[in-house]
Amino acid sequence: MTNAITAAGLRLAYGRTAIVDGLDLDLPGGAVTAIVGPNACGKSTLLRGLARLIAPEAGTVAVDGEDVHRMSARALARRLGLLPQQPTAPDGISVEALVRLGRYPHQKALRPWSKADQDAVESALERTGTAALRDRAVDTLSGGQRQRAWIALALAQDTPLLLLDEPTTFLDLRHQIDVLDLVADLNDGGRTVVMVLHDLGQAARYADHLVVMHEGAPAAAGPPAEVLTAELVEAVFGVACRVVPDPETGTPLVVPRASARHRAAS
Amino acid sequence: MNAIARQRRRTAILALAGLVLLAALMLTGISMGRNPVAPDKALAALFLGTGDSGDVLLIGRFRTPRVLAAVIAGAGLAVAGTLLQRVARNPLASPDVVGITGGASLGATAAMAFGLNATLTPLAALAGGLIAALVLSLLAWKRNIDPLRLVLVGLAVQAGLTAAVNLFIVRFPAELASSALRWTTGSLYGRNWTEVIIGAGAIAVATGAAFALHRRLAVLDLGDDAAGALGVRPGPARLQLLAAAVVLASLAVALTGPVGFVALAVPHLVRRVAGPPTAGTLGLSALAGAVLLLAADLVAQHVLPIDGLPVGVVTSTLGAPLLLALLARQHRSSR
Ligand SMILES: Nc1ncnc2c1ncn2[C@@H]1O[C@H](COP(=O)(O)OP(=O)(O)O)[C@@H](O)[C@H]1O
Ligand SMILES: [Mg+2]
Repeated sequence: MTNAITAAGLRLAYGRTAIVDGLDLDLPGGAVTAIVGPNACGKSTLLRGLARLIAPEAGTVAVDGEDVHRMSARALARRLGLLPQQPTAPDGISVEALVRLGRYPHQKALRPWSKADQDAVESALERTGTAALRDRAVDTLSGGQRQRAWIALALAQDTPLLLLDEPTTFLDLRHQIDVLDLVADLNDGGRTVVMVLHDLGQAARYADHLVVMHEGAPAAAGPPAEVLTAELVEAVFGVACRVVPDPETGTPLVVPRASARHRAAS
Repeated sequence: MNAIARQRRRTAILALAGLVLLAALMLTGISMGRNPVAPDKALAALFLGTGDSGDVLLIGRFRTPRVLAAVIAGAGLAVAGTLLQRVARNPLASPDVVGITGGASLGATAAMAFGLNATLTPLAALAGGLIAALVLSLLAWKRNIDPLRLVLVGLAVQAGLTAAVNLFIVRFPAELASSALRWTTGSLYGRNWTEVIIGAGAIAVATGAAFALHRRLAVLDLGDDAAGALGVRPGPARLQLLAAAVVLASLAVALTGPVGFVALAVPHLVRRVAGPPTAGTLGLSALAGAVLLLAADLVAQHVLPIDGLPVGVVTSTLGAPLLLALLARQHRSSR
């Protein structure tokens, strides 16, 4: 079991408007996939479709060849976790109480909170650096702290497959890197991670597989070094740019071309 | 001690205090009245059947069922209110808002209009509440139950039903109108053992269901996407929780009539003193509802100088300022 995700002929719609239509996608198991694309191109919709939060109008989603719509909701939740883009915590709930909810798919009726549950919560708090915040109310935290608390919830769920919708949004550079290193760590431990990112350089650095979305369909997918070209970025994001090797890692780095004004100033 | 352990201890202390208070109020309830009986004599009369035979009859036949009706209806209303507010994600949701009390009132009033035996009034009210809730879910259902839609449709259903009740009352002869009006204000007068035993059993079952669903509710509180990712399908989960709330509220209302404010105010009250909702605070809500309704009935019977005042008048007149005070405090502390 590698926990690869395959979507075939997927059509996802809100009401009558299809956001994603006829999408075919193979996300390698045991790897880190980054999904990038302009705002409103359907990245969150795609993640929600993969996690079965919206029923597709057509097509299938499978984990290791097993149709997710044939699994029970709980069985899927033990297999696949998702950090939504803008989750809302109930008023006054503490970080620890929030993270504990991540154990829901592992709990059984009438079985009390177990040592395994507590261990998973402790490890999730530890790994996201939120252990010191455990007693704080989530709604009193800064955006970045809150984001890490939610990531901790997804970690406590302890799934081999993790979908993260913009996990680095709201975070300062230090915490962005912490989260991305954590993702790399989780992947070393064998997890499949699929995340939506906005920073193309970070996506290229941390992902084994890059999907560039454009208007509800993948414009390109593959290893970042092959996928990220100046033509593609210009076509998808409408930004003229150069792609240079990242001086640290050699992975592609997208540098927007300077506007006339900036050139004149230098 | 961390926040979770602290809240647990606090909940346990509050529960203990609530139980003591409830026991004291119940004892007061069976002792006090136009013909007061000393508490120890009252207990002996109730459990051993000893003492003055008039007292035994008075306490066993009349006072005890009334006290118990207040306890179980109060608990049912409070738990229903808590569930509704969380499922609808709206702090103003209550059985009054979503049409359940309107349906129950229409059921009861219609039963009176058609001259059914008065013993059938609670059954008619129960049926009315459940039918109204069914109508509500059908109207609010659109692939899923959207919380906001639920409240808006509920308001419309309640308005329509209240209008129908008023139409009945206006067209009724004076005597019937007055008993219908009394019923729709909420009153504990004249409850009997059959009603209390059936009501207690049913409310206990529905409350048990609410507790069994609590983990699901806690996950649902995170929003539909996060809940879905944790393996809780929001549509069915909301429907189950709503069903528990509706059954609880309909049963309580069938027993006492639509007593105002308990379902609305208790969740806020418990939140103030016990913190964010847990299964433990759901239990506290039940306790607080019982205490509040019983206390209100004692005030109505013994403290206020007006004879035969329906308890609903007291809960509304005391509940409104209580709620305002709470909101004022909350506003101040949140600044
Ligand atoms: N719940 C919803 N109902 C209707 N339309 C939606 C909903 N969520 C997103 N959309 C629309 O779907 C499109 C894609 O949104 P989304 O998947 O959130 O984009 P991205 O995550 O790439 O920014 C947008 O045009 C957005 O307005
Ligand atoms: Mg998005």
